[in-house]
Amino acid sequence: MSEHIIRFTVNGVRREQHVAAQRRLIDVLRDDCGLTGTKEGCSVGICGACSVLVDGEVISSCLLPATYADGTTITTIEGLARGGELTPLQDAFITEGGFQCGICTPGQLITATALLAAHPRPTDTQIDEWMTSNLCRCTGYHGIRRAIHKAAVT
Amino acid sequence: MIEGDAATSAPAGARTSTDVFATPERRVEGHGKVTGAADFAADIKRDGMLHVAFVGSPYPHALVRRVDVSGARTAPGVRAVLAGADVRPARFGRRLQDWPVLAWDRVRFIGDRVAAVAADTLEHAEAAAALVDVEYEEQPAIFDAEAALADGAPVLHPDAADYAVVARRGEQVKRSPVPHPNLQGHEVHEHGDVAGGFAKAARIFEHTFRVPPVHQAYIEPRAALVWIEGDVTHVVSTNKAPFSLREQMAQTLDLPAESIVVHTPHVGGDFGGKGLSLDEHALVFLARATKQPVRSLLRYADELQISNTRHGAVIHLRTGIDRDGRITAHESRVIFDGGAYAAGKPVNSLMPGDAMLTLAGYHVPAARVEASAVYTNHLPAGHDRAPGQPQNSFAAESHIDLIARELGIDPLDFRERNAIRAGQIDIHGDQWHASEVPRVLATLRREAKWDAPLASSHPSSAQGRGRGVALGVRHVGRGKTSMELTLGPDGSVEVKTGAPDQGGGAHTMIQRVVARELDLGPERVRIEQLDTATSPVDPGVGGSRVTPVHGNAALDGARKIKAALAEGRAAPITVTGTAEQQQHMYGAYAYAIEVELDRETGAFKITDATLVADVGTVINPVAVRGQLEGGFAFGLGQAAMEELVIDDGRVVTANLGDYKIPTIGDVPKLRLVLITDAPGPGPFGAKSVGELANAAITGAVANAVANAGARVYSLPITAEKVFAELHQGHSPA
Ligand code: FES
Ligand code: FES
Repeated sequence: MSEHIIRFTVNGVRREQHVAAQRRLIDVLRDDCGLTGTKEGCSVGICGACSVLVDGEVISSCLLPATYADGTTITTIEGLARGGELTPLQDAFITEGGFQCGICTPGQLITATALLAAHPRPTDTQIDEWMTSNLCRCTGYHGIRRAIHKAAVT
Repeated sequence: MIEGDAATSAPAGARTSTDVFATPERRVEGHGKVTGAADFAADIKRDGMLHVAFVGSPYPHALVRRVDVSGARTAPGVRAVLAGADVRPARFGRRLQDWPVLAWDRVRFIGDRVAAVAADTLEHAEAAAALVDVEYEEQPAIFDAEAALADGAPVLHPDAADYAVVARRGEQVKRSPVPHPNLQGHEVHEHGDVAGGFAKAARIFEHTFRVPPVHQAYIEPRAALVWIEGDVTHVVSTNKAPFSLREQMAQTLDLPAESIVVHTPHVGGDFGGKGLSLDEHALVFLARATKQPVRSLLRYADELQISNTRHGAVIHLRTGIDRDGRITAHESRVIFDGGAYAAGKPVNSLMPGDAMLTLAGYHVPAARVEASAVYTNHLPAGHDRAPGQPQNSFAAESHIDLIARELGIDPLDFRERNAIRAGQIDIHGDQWHASEVPRVLATLRREAKWDAPLASSHPSSAQGRGRGVALGVRHVGRGKTSMELTLGPDGSVEVKTGAPDQGGGAHTMIQRVVARELDLGPERVRIEQLDTATSPVDPGVGGSRVTPVHGNAALDGARKIKAALAEGRAAPITVTGTAEQQQHMYGAYAYAIEVELDRETGAFKITDATLVADVGTVINPVAVRGQLEGGFAFGLGQAAMEELVIDDGRVVTANLGDYKIPTIGDVPKLRLVLITDAPGPGPFGAKSVGELANAAITGAVANAVANAGARVYSLPITAEKVFAELHQGHSPA
């Protein structure tokens, strides 16, 4: 199997990794970079637990070969809060019941962060469109929706 | 009573000046969960950790003739390969230990494991697993639970007499005898004059319903990490009941319980499924063989293929009704497909916990209920949120509705007429000392505007409208636990508990109970979760037990601190808070659902949904609301979308793309109305909510769709079935 060297910036830190051709981005993030906040659920691009931002775009890191991330800038859940201060969205997830078990939460927050960047005051329809690829089995999504709306007006 | 915004609730019987409960909670683990810092089992590693792959049977039922691991042993990176012969006679299970750690003589479902490989990398482990050569001799398989009970059906567990039953807190339990060798559990209950009740009925109604297996579909697949230090076996697990896992493993491995230490980090969803551990046992054998830590992460495809699902069921109900529209007698026969092993069931009956609750929340003067859980060659079934209820509730609430409509009585009137009241007896023959059921139904009538006419669609229109109601009850959990509380010199309190939090908010609930009793800000109460070596014994989270049991233990501890202070003792003060909650009580809830149905396609959508829930005092307003909303969505998936499709023993809904659970756009708005002033046995009058919303939604949807024109007798209620009912007069099962 061929080995590649990839360079990328994750949460503001520049990294260089040796990766096998088939290695997935999620494994590089979780195992090589120690960023275990990104979660693996379905492994097939459905649940969104593994969502990260690659150059600002929401990507399922369980599907992306790490070599594709060469030269990109990646944000994971660990990169949302700056200097220990939660973003309004993170805080709203706490106050509005945006999580319960928390396994889907990193992915939800990543996608919702991108949603709010694209639509600072999203409608319910826009929330449905953007968040449909992030499954949550615990909350029934009501708390997630409330949290997004709350963060939008903050 | 409050509507909508649960966060504004003033709890009943407030005692302290600082009303801790009125302020919405911030979860103790909230910061970790929104920043990615919270560790789940799959996030924990050990140096030198090996990775594990299993070899599963391709046959639903076969004898294992030969397992050749020689090719796998010499494959690159491999440290150990074990087959059934290496673990024999180790079997595991929550109560009945009938599931071989690795099968040595017989496989009983597709995916049943026969060998395990530990290697330096997962790729090496998987490559080596493919080299394990197994010779099978196929046997006739049973896929139908009723056929399994026929005379002469192949016996799936000829060695059942050898199976151990896990002792409960040192107390040996014997397995109850079963009338057929393919029965896992079987019970018959009878009370009152059943024959007389049917004799005096003006009408007798009989219906049969079918419910398929479904998966709990938590997003976190199981994960486990095992390492051995001297005599101590350490286990990191996704199991939500660490002490129970310790007991089960001690039995399986023939080790003293104290030599096993279970560490449970955050659990990424449970819904009943995470009480059973699959891989931990084999990992111990691999860790012994390799003297290295070993880890296995279950792939989601394996979760769907080999873990413990909700039981599929066939439910026959028969009810007699007198001239006044009251139930005179009820008879039911429920057959659960238990799959290949009973290992996933924690209760002595070896059936889903509420297997016998076929008519929940009604006055039933006479009843005969027979329930069975049956061995088949399907993947094993286990517990799923309010075990037994989603199946029975769907059947009973459809049955009740069919009766009401047949009698020309409004379905809500009919339920109110038969609702159990204080002093009356229920389906189990138990007398209720209090009942909120009539009040829940009356509240639903008002809040859902039940008496307002349904906006009817034009007769020529392709749109049909319908409205349905369903009633549910769920026990407030029982059990006992203890935890350690320390008042520090700075006036803050530390609570040490062995209870994990699978997302329900257990730790925050404990924090707020202590804070309220001691009149502290919640942030002054710190919760620490200990492993099984350092914590007081704890039953784990589940069974709707956490708030009434753990909450009372927290309250007891806080009161002891208060008493110590009153005696003039100075901090630090350490006490043990204990509680044993044995009061038998139910919480009640009811749904009203409106649907709009497209007659041309059979597709329907929910246009209005109301849930009234009798929850007692609210401790965590955000979590109470979240549990009910989450239960609604969870039940909705099972009502209208989810089915683990199994074809000749093979699960064909093989990943979360095929096995569809609700997404954000699938879940409609919910009008949530809480009844908070009927106190429960929990701290400050709390009840439990974790399993209070997910069962009855199935019946409510079925009844609304029936009201719109299509009665479906099986779950899930899909457009295909509705279409068939509308256009062919019957629905495919
Ligand atoms: S784990 Fe990547 S989408 Fe589910
Ligand atoms: S919070 Fe548990 S899956 Fe979303």
